[in-house]
Amino acid sequence: MSEPLEQLVPDLGDFRDVEVIEILVRSGDRVEAETPLITLETDKATMDVPATAAGVIREVALKKGDRVSMGSLILTLEESIEAGTPASAGATAAAEEGTDSQVQAGQPAVDVEAQLVVLGAGPGGYTAAFRAADLGLDVLLVDRWPQLGGVCLNVGCIPSKALLHAAKVLEDVESMAEHGLMFGDPSIDIDLLRQWKNKIVGKLTAGLTILAKQRRVRVLRGFGRFTSPTRMEVVEPDGKTRVVAFRHCVIAAGSEPSRLPGLPADSRIIDSTGALELKELPGSMLVVGGGIIGLEMACVYDGLGSRVSVVELTPGLMPGCDRDLVRPLEKRIRDRYERVMTGTGVSRVEALDEGLRVSFEGGDAPPPALYDRILVAVGRVPNGRLINAEAAGVAVDARGYIAVDRQMRTNVPNIFAIGDIAGQPMLAHKATHEGKVAAEVAAGQKSSFDARVIPSVAYTDPEIAWVGITEEQAKSEGRKVGKGLFPWMASGRSLALNRDEGFTKLLFDPATHRVIGGGIVGVNAGDLISEVALAIELGADAADVGLTIHPHPTLSETVAFAAEAFEGTLTDLYAPKKGA
Amino acid sequence: MSGRVVITVPDIGDFHDVEVIEVLVAPGERVELETPLITLETDKATMDVPATAAGTIVELAVQKGARVSQGDAIAVLDTGAAAATVLPTSESGQSAPSPSDTQTAPAAAGKISETGLTIPDIGDFHDVEVIELLVAVGDTIELETPLLTLETDKATMDVPATVAGRVLAVHVAKGARVNAGDLVVTVGGAATALAPAGSASASGSPQPEKAAPVPQPAARVEPPTGSSPPIEEAGFSRAHASPSVRRYARELGVDLGRVSGTGPKGRVTHEDVKAYVKTALSGAPAGAVPSGDGSALPQVPVVDFAAFGPIDVQPLTRIQKISGPRLHASWVNVPHVTQHDEADITEMESLRTELKAKAASVGVKLTPLAFVVRACARVLAGFPRFNSSLDGAGENLVFKKYLHIGFAADTPNGLVVPVIRDADRKDLYEIARDLALLSEKARTGRLSGADMQGGCFTISSLGGIGGTAFTPIINAPEVAILGVSRSQTRPVWQSGQFVPRLMLPLSLSYDHRVIDGADAARFTVALAGALAEPRTLLEAVP
Repeated sequence: MSEPLEQLVPDLGDFRDVEVIEILVRSGDRVEAETPLITLETDKATMDVPATAAGVIREVALKKGDRVSMGSLILTLEESIEAGTPASAGATAAAEEGTDSQVQAGQPAVDVEAQLVVLGAGPGGYTAAFRAADLGLDVLLVDRWPQLGGVCLNVGCIPSKALLHAAKVLEDVESMAEHGLMFGDPSIDIDLLRQWKNKIVGKLTAGLTILAKQRRVRVLRGFGRFTSPTRMEVVEPDGKTRVVAFRHCVIAAGSEPSRLPGLPADSRIIDSTGALELKELPGSMLVVGGGIIGLEMACVYDGLGSRVSVVELTPGLMPGCDRDLVRPLEKRIRDRYERVMTGTGVSRVEALDEGLRVSFEGGDAPPPALYDRILVAVGRVPNGRLINAEAAGVAVDARGYIAVDRQMRTNVPNIFAIGDIAGQPMLAHKATHEGKVAAEVAAGQKSSFDARVIPSVAYTDPEIAWVGITEEQAKSEGRKVGKGLFPWMASGRSLALNRDEGFTKLLFDPATHRVIGGGIVGVNAGDLISEVALAIELGADAADVGLTIHPHPTLSETVAFAAEAFEGTLTDLYAPKKGA
Repeated sequence: MSGRVVITVPDIGDFHDVEVIEVLVAPGERVELETPLITLETDKATMDVPATAAGTIVELAVQKGARVSQGDAIAVLDTGAAAATVLPTSESGQSAPSPSDTQTAPAAAGKISETGLTIPDIGDFHDVEVIELLVAVGDTIELETPLLTLETDKATMDVPATVAGRVLAVHVAKGARVNAGDLVVTVGGAATALAPAGSASASGSPQPEKAAPVPQPAARVEPPTGSSPPIEEAGFSRAHASPSVRRYARELGVDLGRVSGTGPKGRVTHEDVKAYVKTALSGAPAGAVPSGDGSALPQVPVVDFAAFGPIDVQPLTRIQKISGPRLHASWVNVPHVTQHDEADITEMESLRTELKAKAASVGVKLTPLAFVVRACARVLAGFPRFNSSLDGAGENLVFKKYLHIGFAADTPNGLVVPVIRDADRKDLYEIARDLALLSEKARTGRLSGADMQGGCFTISSLGGIGGTAFTPIINAPEVAILGVSRSQTRPVWQSGQFVPRLMLPLSLSYDHRVIDGADAARFTVALAGALAEPRTLLEAVP
């Protein structure tokens, strides 16, 4: 009554000629839908290919060791009377139709249906999508950009780190000249450098595409706007509009660089995205904004040879961070940069042929000066106002943030918001954590955002990282803290790296001696801060950290030394007894 | 001919009043087997309820936002001629049409010759043991013929037939454990018109009043995830617990701030969270979490009695086995205080003696207990807190708008507490009649589960035996119990001289979480006053 059904190799992502490492069935076997038939091994992973229908196997077309690609015949199946359950049939449909499947019969207005739609494919969004898919939800990921990964992967964290590494190499080489290593003046091929950076980004975003396919997370490119609490319309790049229906939605639409009002329209005025494009190396550059992003980009362009100036409106660089942590960075860049202006604003910018003429205001404002480029890095604004959230009834505040509860739910119970759009701090690692919480809650779990601290890192040279309570915060709250500090001047490893300006600082609850905060400035501070974050999350106290054997000689030792400094057990420095 | 099927909410675990967050079909729409009809959202998860038959939606019984429980109708389906595709609506294989379906179904089917009889609603009981099978295949049964006997931890009860006919099949065996809705027997060849299974079982079964849950000590506290008090977030975020323990606590809905840690430096471990949940489930008040192994009570030493002389071991009776843990639970969970007082019943006794013969002539035995029950009913009306209970979470007081009074009855098998329904709406004679009837049932072991459920206040009278005062244990979750000892004629100082008066000792134990000492004293004074003026107790009840 039924004709044989062919079972084919499904979409494997970008893989071809994948080896069959195991045949799991034989002809005559009875299989159910989703019974694994064969195992494939790519260089990334092994995966089972399941049956898409129930039936009895007539003939197996492959043998172990064969290489297959999408569409290769695996075996033929005599379909049983009831052809698969509706559930598995649905899954099959999704798998076969791949990324642009979607159209289903039913309500004519809806083009795509998904249990969960994630709006925005940045680190928060793709994490939410993948976690939800792993928990069994049918997920659609919507993003307006061609590559997954959002700002972080494409025009943020990752490319900036590549360029910062390049700058660091140049500076390290330069600083070793007086110690006997001389390479001569560097020659910089900006095009090669840009290609290298783009390749890194490409690798990561391609990896995300594969991860999405492996999880059967569908991806729809376009600009999503809500039309109701369960509907969204997505305008695709070609202008076509698709109606997407969902049961749950995670808003992960991120943020964009803030613009500075009153600046002329001029291609020489760029934001962080423009700076990372690395079109050319300007002779001089003014960085407006002395926060993390501005100082990182200043660091890149300084390293690559531009004359850099920084102007910051508030009295200090990198607001929110303890002053002692900023001081080594500030000292270094005041020496290296053309000018570092704090408590100073930009009053006027004139676009002249010979450059951008900038006037300053403030107590110590210098006279107007001419720059080849201006990089505006004065913060980021959330995209809450771009997604027509009101149609879904989601409350967006005046600045574009969407308020959420501990489970990342907005005021509309089936809609979640995560990442930059859900509030400060705008950090990728906060977004990914929130993405997991939202996905798990959408899948019916009882997860909650219970992290106690979110570390912050400036990947400047030297790096600055801090986590938990800061001394400034403790002071303003009137809270007493104990402090343990270890200067890297006494770290053999730091000296061997030809750097001595760093230090590690831990803050403790004076009653319980538990670690409640910490800050590190120096090489790789961003990597070292994790231990402090872990100590806080685990409720470790000074003795727990100090009595953990740390490898010598490392920079990580300095965390233990700071704990010992607080405990009074440190031997690598001499400190007169406290209160003796 | 077209069959109509009502699709109901299937067994969804322990959830009740689950919200319908999405209605996925509309009237007129054709659905297949397993087509999702609605989406429910519990606090655990969302779930789709699929169609159990194919057909066209005739009517939707729920809308978005409604709250439903197991068995609620979702939609009426016109199955066309394809009535055979009806799937069982629950694991039990029950395919009986739902109540609202009964009008059309038998008619449509012409001569239905088989009816499945199921366990009716038996209150809050689950997995109840079948201790006796009273029918066998081939038996002819009438309406109300007992089919089998169930034993809950409260009582035994018979499940009566809701149709007459011949037993074609028996689906349960003695010793099996059953739940409401389970198929018990198939009856065929119905000679008489079929009584609709649903409605008959509703009226003819020993179904307890929904509003009056069985007095069960906290053993049935909802799992903390269900109705536990909201988590106090500030405390949660300060708890000395690692991220994995926090996640675990969220899963179980445990407020970490209330868990005391037993790990190094007071750290809360996974085990601490588990122990907290166990304690909460076993009914100890939240917060009083024992540290360590979780056993809060020191154990009585085990003694080898035979080492000291000959012994004889006899098992506890069934009733003793059941009542023991309940008494213990009340004793350890409820802070008891006993208020002692006495009532002058000289006039009550003379009135009772006066009326006794007349009452006996109409078959009513007028006992002193009848007066006490009547007086309690009167007085309780003015003391609503004495007719209340704490809810499972211990956060709210539930005031009952009805008054059922239980009385402890001594039987050869042990202590039982039959309940006089609506004692506040019965006059003295009706109460006396109920007392006699229930006492007789108790003595002969014929009390049904319903006879012992729903009590609001309990009276334990030892007056017929002796004693001057005692401390009765509250029949939790009731909040008070009146103990009555033996009355004695004693000299009482009145108007400058001792006069002989018949005095009745009263011992009122009360739950001090709910009732203050002053209120308890007021209550016994009011009760003594009511008993001292017995003529008012004779008044008819509006």
